[in-house]
Amino acid sequence: MIIRDLDTLNDIRQTRLNRLLRSRPRIGVGMGTCGVGNGAQTVYDALAEALVEKGLDADLEPVGCFGFCAVEPLVNVYLPGRPLVILAEVTPEDVPHIVDEIADGRVPTTKALCRIEEWDHLTGEVRFGRGLSEIPLWNEIPFFQGQQKIVLRNCGLINPERLDDYIAVGGYFPLYQALHKPGGDQIIEEINKANLRGRGGAGYPTGVKWNLMRKAKADTKYMICNADEGDPGAYMNRNEIESDPHMLLEGMLIGAYATESNKGIVYLRAEYPLAVQRLEKAVQDAREAGLLGERILGTSFSFDVELVEGAGAFVCGEETSMIASLEGRAGRPRPRPPFPAQSGLWGYPTNINNVETWCNVPVIVSRGGAWFAGVGTPNSTGTKVFSLVGKVKNTGLVEMPLGAPLKNIVYGIGGGSPAAKRIKAVQTGGPSGGCIPAKHFDTSVDYESLGALGAIMGSGGMVVMDEDNCMVDVARYFLEFTHSESCGKCIPCRVGLDEAVRILRKICDGEADMADVDKLEELAPMIRDASLCGLGQTAPNPVLTTLRYFREEYEEHIRARRCYAGVCEKLYLSPCENSCPLNMRIPAFLELLKEDRLEDAAEMVWLDNPLPASTGRICQHPCESQCRRGDEDAPVNMREVHRYIADTVFDGPLMERVRARLLEDRFEATGKRVAVIGAGPSGLSAAFYLAMLGHEVIVYEERDEPGGMLRYCLPEYRLPKDVLRAEIDVLESLGIRFEYGQTLGAGLSLDSLEQDCDTVFLATGTWNETRAGCTGEDAPDVWHAITFLEQVALGAPPSVGERVVVVGGGNAAVDSARTAVRLGAKSVTIVYRRERSDMPAIAEEVYDAEAEGVEVRFFLSPQRVVTDNDGHVKGIELRKTVPGEFDASGRRTPVSTDEILKLPCDLVIMAVGEKPDPDPLRRAGIHVRDNYTAKVDWMTYKTNRPRVHAGGDLVTGASNVSATMATGKAAARAIDRILMGEDRLDRVLKVFTYENRVPLEPEGGDRQVARHRAPDDRKNNFEEVMLGYGAEAAILESRRCLRCDVKEQCAVKGGTS
Amino acid sequence: MSVREEAPLSAEQVDEVIERFPGRTGDVLRILETLQEMHPLKYLPEATLKYVAERKGLALSNVFSVVTFYSFFNLNPQGRHTIMVCRGTACHTRGSKLLLDGLMSESGGSANGDDASSSFTTPDHELTVRTVACFGQCALAPVVSVDEDIHGHMSDLKLKRMVRGIVKREAKDDNS
Amino acid sequence: MSNEINITINGRELKAREQQTILGVARSNDIYIPTLCFLKGLSGVGACRLCLVEIEGVPRLLPACVTKVTEGMVVTTESPKLKEYRRMILELLLAERNHVCAFCVVSGNCELQDLAQQLGVTYVRYPYRFPKYKVDATHDRFLYDPNRCVLCTRCMRACEEVEGARTWNVRGRGIRSFMITDLNQDWGDSPTCTTCGKCVEACPTGALAVKGRATGEMKRKKNVLSQLSSMRDRGR
Repeated sequence: MIIRDLDTLNDIRQTRLNRLLRSRPRIGVGMGTCGVGNGAQTVYDALAEALVEKGLDADLEPVGCFGFCAVEPLVNVYLPGRPLVILAEVTPEDVPHIVDEIADGRVPTTKALCRIEEWDHLTGEVRFGRGLSEIPLWNEIPFFQGQQKIVLRNCGLINPERLDDYIAVGGYFPLYQALHKPGGDQIIEEINKANLRGRGGAGYPTGVKWNLMRKAKADTKYMICNADEGDPGAYMNRNEIESDPHMLLEGMLIGAYATESNKGIVYLRAEYPLAVQRLEKAVQDAREAGLLGERILGTSFSFDVELVEGAGAFVCGEETSMIASLEGRAGRPRPRPPFPAQSGLWGYPTNINNVETWCNVPVIVSRGGAWFAGVGTPNSTGTKVFSLVGKVKNTGLVEMPLGAPLKNIVYGIGGGSPAAKRIKAVQTGGPSGGCIPAKHFDTSVDYESLGALGAIMGSGGMVVMDEDNCMVDVARYFLEFTHSESCGKCIPCRVGLDEAVRILRKICDGEADMADVDKLEELAPMIRDASLCGLGQTAPNPVLTTLRYFREEYEEHIRARRCYAGVCEKLYLSPCENSCPLNMRIPAFLELLKEDRLEDAAEMVWLDNPLPASTGRICQHPCESQCRRGDEDAPVNMREVHRYIADTVFDGPLMERVRARLLEDRFEATGKRVAVIGAGPSGLSAAFYLAMLGHEVIVYEERDEPGGMLRYCLPEYRLPKDVLRAEIDVLESLGIRFEYGQTLGAGLSLDSLEQDCDTVFLATGTWNETRAGCTGEDAPDVWHAITFLEQVALGAPPSVGERVVVVGGGNAAVDSARTAVRLGAKSVTIVYRRERSDMPAIAEEVYDAEAEGVEVRFFLSPQRVVTDNDGHVKGIELRKTVPGEFDASGRRTPVSTDEILKLPCDLVIMAVGEKPDPDPLRRAGIHVRDNYTAKVDWMTYKTNRPRVHAGGDLVTGASNVSATMATGKAAARAIDRILMGEDRLDRVLKVFTYENRVPLEPEGGDRQVARHRAPDDRKNNFEEVMLGYGAEAAILESRRCLRCDVKEQCAVKGGTS
Repeated sequence: MSVREEAPLSAEQVDEVIERFPGRTGDVLRILETLQEMHPLKYLPEATLKYVAERKGLALSNVFSVVTFYSFFNLNPQGRHTIMVCRGTACHTRGSKLLLDGLMSESGGSANGDDASSSFTTPDHELTVRTVACFGQCALAPVVSVDEDIHGHMSDLKLKRMVRGIVKREAKDDNS
Repeated sequence: MSNEINITINGRELKAREQQTILGVARSNDIYIPTLCFLKGLSGVGACRLCLVEIEGVPRLLPACVTKVTEGMVVTTESPKLKEYRRMILELLLAERNHVCAFCVVSGNCELQDLAQQLGVTYVRYPYRFPKYKVDATHDRFLYDPNRCVLCTRCMRACEEVEGARTWNVRGRGIRSFMITDLNQDWGDSPTCTTCGKCVEACPTGALAVKGRATGEMKRKKNVLSQLSSMRDRGR
């Protein structure tokens, strides 16, 4: 039917609305490419079959994508008079239930994500129905909170393959309106009022562009839609066309009318076959309805649209390249001026706008420019669709009013990291954009603010990166992309990018020096300023922003030859080794154990980590989060395996052999003497490596026994003191001398040590407690966690009474709580001011504590400790908090409320943090930072005193055992390098030969569970809880390793390293 | 298994396609794209290029320039099966480089990190491994396509299994 | 009729005609702007970026060879930034392929050599790529040595715009761009080449040369192409 007047348009609308809303149930399946990729087609087929089987009179139709890609397939169900309900993650197995419910006149709710009672399509409203309040409204769920759907107004709700669906929600009415305005000027006027800016990237005012076009007089004028969405990581245009193709056509029609253009072209990526197909259908339907072609809607206006599929060249997004491509040539740009509006396709006036720009046009005509300008900020009006992808929980298409803070998008809508990792940056604008670091997530997302950070809005790609992403690699990745997409016409882009890529590859391979960074910084501005087109001009942005915000990562790659994110493969053995602060050669010792070479395995473990039994019990095991076996079933339990190796050695005759081997591995005496102050894990590991390197080492310790926090703060049930003692005995047998009762500043002076020794290594730890800052904190029954745990370790535990409250969320809090249980407290409660997922404590420890009866309560912050007249604790007043704004770590800042909770108790343990004691340092003339840590150079661990180095928690602040040992190891390397003039530490790390074979299929079966005591068996005593692996379990577990360290598959069994 | 014969498209086939796109805007791209899709080995033989140039009055050098400029076009026969690894940003941040490297070592090719549009075809023309700049399936990252079917949330092991599955199935088909 | 336009270049107030390029005005007033891809008589492509100049009120640098003058335009052709960028561009170009003058037929008559002298490029800070492209000696009269090619496309434009043969074009893209004849075949087998030699005349380096010349022997006729093309234009 050809539509010539308003009445016909209205008739179509009413007929379709009646069918959609009044007559029967309707099921819409989200059938965008992403939906189909997630199985929407099978769901659709199952529904179709089930409906026939049931004989149910319901409409089943494909719809577009509603944006929440992470929970596809999405199915929306509408029963007349009821709210529209969107079901998420629907599988064919859900289908019978869905159909049964509908047949019984009920809305299926089992997989309900949200409901919609009414929907403003902006060109028209649809009222579904009210009720079902147990299902949240769509904009009540976090993913949609703050979103405003202007461009995506119809997406996921209408059938993109039906013209009458589009008309039913008010589509093509704006066109009718526009065509009946006396002239195009009025439309351009509205676009100007709306202050619409181009959504393709540069943000050029659309009205200004159109005006130029309108003024250009010619018998042929081209209106082009740029749908060559080439930014890797962005797919909003694909979805817009797949879900609502007519809105694009209507936008182009209105633009063509306003500028008196008569030919339209959509340049669409060939990689988007579904979008091509749907747009082709839409063009055909529009032609048949007289909405394209001659005399549109009964007026004298004529316009038609052709589709051209781009053949895979990113540079064709540049308008002069696109024109060259349309003219049948390689898509190389030409200098502007002349601009396309003056001389474009085949020399005719040409105007090119991005898909999303066009999609906004019908709404501006329908609602008016002023309305549109009211959304967003004054300079960046309206909304922008972002593809939020990468390391966030809720991936999908997000449409936000411009000016929303970035953190709301990343943490709020995106839900933060899916794997509880630290989010590092967001990359916006694709290869032309930049990386915005987490510390700038307060930034408002608008054209100017992003530009000020060195990034761009671009087409709206937002790729979230976390601690596992290497920023140097990201820069290299984008440059490799622009490099391979460069057309090659101008020298700065062609050869400049090639040179820049070579430098970045060198950095990633650990073969660069700092002069290469200088070269990069020299090249980047030249490429930016001198390149011919936008591709070259923006290509350096990823390099410039990563250099600006993540310079330390470049330095780590160059100076330390490390890629801590574990991306640059040439800089590490395997992901686990790289994540281990001590760089234990994990796959190697697993393989050695597998080959029944326990002695070799033990020697290797000791050389990599001088406290393997202790760390085997208490390490935070970052290795597990990197283990690729985790993608398959569960990560290898590497920590338990090295614990098994160490324990087995201690239990049997092997110890002497391993000790003998270590003595043999020790370098010849150098005649150099090093003093280590502090016998904690950092000091011990420095002492071990210095001794192995042949230096004379004396360890000075304030307390009576070595071990530091491992000895005095780690409860016996986690780390038995005899295990630690045995490990330190091994160190003593390597010739390390220990002197106890030696306190820095009281008897022990740096000045005299400097005289006696070649170098001093300071590792005195963090023994000062952070105060909670609440009233009554100094009452006698209020303990600080470290003091409390130390008392227990000294064998003089305080009486805990019946009820204990522990304040804090870290390991010290959990240790204190579990210790209190063992000291006889009847009730122990941990209170924490944030939520569970924010707790820094090891998750297994929290779980074990709860199994022992510890209660953990959240969103409570200490206000006042209540005491009686004698000063005894009677209880604690806690202020309830609510989650507030996201902070720089992506956690919500607790905000105090007026609500107070009183918990009666007899003892309060404050576990809110520790810091170093700055006084002895200051007296010794060591520079101290604001947080009281010692100031050192990160590459040498040197303090301001030339022969004094420092490490451990003293320089990092409170950390964990392996991290603090790692600083001791790194400091030993640096000290030795300075003393001996060469880097010798790697030579201590003996290399073993073993089989290098990658298992074709995962071996070893399920993850082995370590033996442990049951809660009832353990909560009344200090016996060790975790009992480790037996021999069989340890070997099975080691067989689970996928051998990521083997880079090249050896075809022959028995290949060697 | 023998490499299938290189069969250039017939003049009639090419003529039909040329007639399908009579307009001059975008015709060169559309004709070449359609012809490549029509070819059973998904590529453009030299004879076809020559014929198109002649029929459309295009310079030979321009036709060659076009087919080497756009990454869509192939000048060599493609494998019976094509696996495309998405190298979009979201996929890259979720480890698509590992997938590509693993796939290359599995199929005997060498990962050419040099080029975002690298491709490798096994000598028996069973399998082509190539990359694509971005499928626009970023929410499913990392994504690969096997003979145009999209598979999301891919892992190295899953992908290798899939490849072995294809090869095994083929072997069986050939025996039966 | 073209109107007279007033512009300023490097502080000098000059008269120019409408439709003139900045380069044209500069050259007719003896102001030196380095160029490489520009050749009088051929269309301008603004590709080599050596002729970039600063224009007051324009945030970007613009190529003098294709940018038309406008009334009141204030142009700077020399600045520390321009100087540094030009040097970098030339160094990158010199590192891209093998530009060893010692064995080159056009040594002493080479625009690239002249540019290096003019811009004072005495060393190259980037590592040389040393590509090993095969020299195409299949043509009866001419040689094509891709190792000396700078991808200025002057040959291609001369062939298409002056001779009308369209034998030359660019294969591939980016750093893999490469001048080819016809369907990437040997020049000697070209069905379209008329052996007119215009491409050889247009080449700024020793990439295209007449066969049988020794080092430094080959000299090009100045302005032959612009004469040809202006004759052609008049003939229209």
